Amino acid sequence: MTTTHPGHAGGDQPVDLDDPDLSRFDIVRAGAREDDIQIVHYEPQVVPGSKAERRLSRTVALFFLLTGVSATAFLAIYIWWPWEYELGYGGDKWYTPLLGVTLGISLLGIGFGVLTWGKKLLPKEVSVQDRHEGVNERDRKITGQTMLYMADELGVKRRPLLGVSLLAGLAPVGAVAAAPLVGGLISQPHKNNQMFTTGFAPTEGGQKIRLVREDGRPIRPADVSAGGQITVFPGIEHGVSNKYADSPALLIHLRDTDAQEAREANVRIGHDDFMWGNFAAYSKICTHAGCPASLYEQQTNRLLCPCHQSQFLITDNAKPIFGPASRRLPQLPIVVDDEGYFVATSDYTETVGPDFWERP
Amino acid sequence: MKRRKFEMAAVPGNVARGVDDRFQAATPLRRLLNKVFPDHWSFLLGEIALFSFIVLLLTGVFLTFFFEPAMTEVIYNGSYAPLRGTPMSAAYASSLDISFDVRGGLIMRQMHHWSALLFMAAIVVHMLRVFFTGAFRKPRETNWIIGSLLFWVGFLAGFTGYSLPDDGLSGTGLRIASGIMLSIPVIGSWVTSSIFDGEFPGTIIVSRFYIAHVLLIPGLLLALIGAHLGLVFKQKHTQWPGPGRTNDNVVGERMFPRYALKQGGFFMVVFGVIALMAGLFQINPIWLFGPYEAWVVSAASQPDWYVMFLDGSTRLMPAWEINIPIGDGYVIPPLFWPTVVLPGVLVGMSVLYPFIEARRLKDYRSHNLLQRPRDVPARSGLGAMAVTFYLVLALSGANDVIADKFNISLNAMTWGGRIGLLLLPPLAYFVTYRICLGLQQHDREVLAHGVETGIIRRLPDGRFVEVHQPLHREDGELEYVGWVVPKKMNRLGALGPAIRGFFYPIEKPAEAPVSPAPPVDSDTERSEITSGERR
Amino acid sequence: MTSDNDRRRGLFARLRGRPAARSRGRRRLGAAVRLLAALMLAGGAYTAFAPSVQAQDTPMSGVAADGKALFNESCVSCHGRNAQGVEGRGPSLVGVGSASVEFQVGSGRMPMVRQEAQAPRKPPVFTPDEIRQLGQYIQELGGGPELPPGEDLHEDGNLAAGGELFRINCAQCHAFGGGGGALSSGKYAPTLKPASDRQIYAAMLSGPQNMPVFGDNQITPEQKADIIAYIQENLNHNQDPGGFNLGRYGPSTEGLAIFLVGIVALVFTTLWIAGKS
Repeated sequence: MTTTHPGHAGGDQPVDLDDPDLSRFDIVRAGAREDDIQIVHYEPQVVPGSKAERRLSRTVALFFLLTGVSATAFLAIYIWWPWEYELGYGGDKWYTPLLGVTLGISLLGIGFGVLTWGKKLLPKEVSVQDRHEGVNERDRKITGQTMLYMADELGVKRRPLLGVSLLAGLAPVGAVAAAPLVGGLISQPHKNNQMFTTGFAPTEGGQKIRLVREDGRPIRPADVSAGGQITVFPGIEHGVSNKYADSPALLIHLRDTDAQEAREANVRIGHDDFMWGNFAAYSKICTHAGCPASLYEQQTNRLLCPCHQSQFLITDNAKPIFGPASRRLPQLPIVVDDEGYFVATSDYTETVGPDFWERP
Repeated sequence: MKRRKFEMAAVPGNVARGVDDRFQAATPLRRLLNKVFPDHWSFLLGEIALFSFIVLLLTGVFLTFFFEPAMTEVIYNGSYAPLRGTPMSAAYASSLDISFDVRGGLIMRQMHHWSALLFMAAIVVHMLRVFFTGAFRKPRETNWIIGSLLFWVGFLAGFTGYSLPDDGLSGTGLRIASGIMLSIPVIGSWVTSSIFDGEFPGTIIVSRFYIAHVLLIPGLLLALIGAHLGLVFKQKHTQWPGPGRTNDNVVGERMFPRYALKQGGFFMVVFGVIALMAGLFQINPIWLFGPYEAWVVSAASQPDWYVMFLDGSTRLMPAWEINIPIGDGYVIPPLFWPTVVLPGVLVGMSVLYPFIEARRLKDYRSHNLLQRPRDVPARSGLGAMAVTFYLVLALSGANDVIADKFNISLNAMTWGGRIGLLLLPPLAYFVTYRICLGLQQHDREVLAHGVETGIIRRLPDGRFVEVHQPLHREDGELEYVGWVVPKKMNRLGALGPAIRGFFYPIEKPAEAPVSPAPPVDSDTERSEITSGERR
Repeated sequence: MTSDNDRRRGLFARLRGRPAARSRGRRRLGAAVRLLAALMLAGGAYTAFAPSVQAQDTPMSGVAADGKALFNESCVSCHGRNAQGVEGRGPSLVGVGSASVEFQVGSGRMPMVRQEAQAPRKPPVFTPDEIRQLGQYIQELGGGPELPPGEDLHEDGNLAAGGELFRINCAQCHAFGGGGGALSSGKYAPTLKPASDRQIYAAMLSGPQNMPVFGDNQITPEQKADIIAYIQENLNHNQDPGGFNLGRYGPSTEGLAIFLVGIVALVFTTLWIAGKS
């Protein structure tokens, strides 16, 4: 920055821009003053041509060169590094980290280069700008009166019919704009009674639905050891899919004494024949928020939901004993059919999944 | 014939003249070039959010070229062997392809996710800065509201984006979201079935979330960010009190060139940090989660950090179900309170806070000077209370991970969270309030008696006293002006440490700077203003 | 891999078998009660409780005798004479099989240092030979599930099939990344990282502590090999392609990282860029 002559800087008089004595900085200052800015302090941080300036320039240049090297490395890695996935420890596992590191370094190089440049090499300044928050009373009055005048001219006050009819007409038009969007989205939640039925509902012919594994095979009692559990699905088309997201149940093979306890608890609430032998099946869908509550502890017979830590006691009709769930897991009544496979005697007798307003 | 001489040096001038002839750009451009910005590190926090939003847009556009927002079932046949042959949705398969079969796709995915986390984190940190310094006061209430909305719109952007890959973890999150919608009294089931087009999960939710995530929400974010920045520009930035700084001026640097250069450099640093994190830290390994299946879940299922406080509130909520015995009976499930009511209350409180405070203090003036948190103990206490509340909830959102890794009982963590949620915020209020008062007291003490010098003098009667260096002349009295009071001898008169350097002291260059600086105004008061930087 | 013969023996043993630990009330019931209960279930009929049939009527092999000596030295104080269990200290081991011994002793969980909610994994106290002797003793005492021979139990495992089974049967407790997770009241599912093939196999077969039993009828030996292959080759020995995995704890550590690394680094940068007063 060039030095200036003291005589030109002070004062509030407009500067004569054609004055040949005026330096460029004088014009900058004059311009700043037109935006109500006083440049009160302007101090170069380095002396032009000084050792410090050369050193800082070298630092900035170094940052930019680092960027160049790193960006080139990025490109080379991007193009030539073996990136295709393979199992185990392989070079491909370094592809993403290397790209990230080279890209990161090249960006940081630009960043710190530019920052050093701006922070260390450019002159420091302190400027003071007025805020001008004062209210212009005159303009306020003019604008206000203008708007009121316009309203008067429209004359809605004098002609109330216009106002009323305008409202009456516009409201439906507004609805017309919203209707296709909202109306198209609305979907009746109780279509086919979908919120209260699952894939285990017997077919219309009264055919009971088998319990199957994830690969579709039906399940015999001998398949699950005591103290074991298995996720079961309705043995129908697409039964093992998200189409029947509410259906999956946990079939648990309880130990003798636990089973005895569970049976007694079943009897207490009128679920007399919901268990078969020592087997009980409960909905896997948590009654709280719908996660699969499936952390079965075979010694304590607790079932934990990993999303919000609700705990259900299987030997007491899957009653919630801890956490935010307020409702038992619905029990699936099961029996073994003539061929020795588990079937559901009926659908769940309670609503599966998270609670909602109109659940009876 | 003589060819007209083409002067290279005249080109920029001619172009500029041409542009100004047509658009009259000189005046507005001068105003822009001449805008003064105050200089303080805490004013750059919002910028982190802005810059990560730009990175989000860049990486997000890349991802849309490869992502297929459909839930049609396909059999995966890509490079990732442990999932080959598995039936999954097209959305999940294409997310796997981005990770394994698109060159450089994984780094882009990871950058997108990390910048999303950074976007939200920077918003929160920036919001805390604005809150604790009182920058939300009149005339900036509107911008505070826009900022609060930005958090919640960002929250939606994050959640919809997190759900898009349709993997096992995000699907569980979506399942919970459907449960939350279901829990709304009266209209819950209608809302859910309208959004999912039938029962959860349906076949269309990914496509709907996709258009929301890539068009509607970014559009809204852009509009809000534009308004936010526009208002900062129009209303001018707040500044800290200090010598020469008043409610009616802005003391700082003009926008060009130094300030703008620093901003550009900072953008590159933010971008670089995101790239480094994306390369060094794996985020959201969807290939481990498998496709979403309604019966599959993982231990430690958590949402991204900015949703975690809601997960925590849900975990801590006792099982209070409200039954309404009319007709067949109606239910308000316990899920409703922590996930619908709580965020609603939080939005309302944050939006209304500037007005509540103005009303409480009967303070309806405009404020352009910031306040030190210690000078407003009640507000700082409230802020600490809110932060503690949030932290307890967020930690509870990860309470199973904490329980597992630190060998604490899960049930004890839940109870700890419940009790902590009630006890800790008031405690935080009290402690913060007292700390603020203590700091205030100390400031006043230094102003009255001077700086501790560390020199102990023995009085004739045998007592020891410490010598204080008074800050004022005998006759004068120093008023507290809301700014840093020097408390160490070597800060006297410098308002900054005498020794330069960030991590270690740097020797001052031997040559004294020759000052070719333009002379300052005759107004002596102004000339005392320092840049506010360490010298 | 197991031969057919082994597998059949294993199945029979399992039908009679009981897992390692059980609640206090059931401890004193004899092995045969469980055998009969299992048979009754299979047949769907109930009969009266039968008197105990003691397995150790038949003479013990040499290996088992060595095992018994070891047992009397280190285990008898909690599990009682002839592994009948001691009320309030340790369950009966009759019928738990050598699979259970291999898991509990091989992973150092047994002998326990003190009574607590769950026995943690430790460096094993016994040598592999001693563990085999102990296992043989328990096996001959009351039968129970046994492991197939060999160290590598996942040779021909199918990763994709194993992954599917892992997610549906294991991930809910051990987490998608196999890092383990919390259960109710201080119990936990341990990390699978240090587990050997045989230990994973034994755990599925015997259902140690609160882990459910996954018998061979539910998850066949081939499927078990698939699961082990998925755990060992993908979760444990497949490097993460996206950089450091942050412990695979999911979004909680990612959230921590964005603040501790991202925000901290950038705030330091702002401190360097801009003024502090």
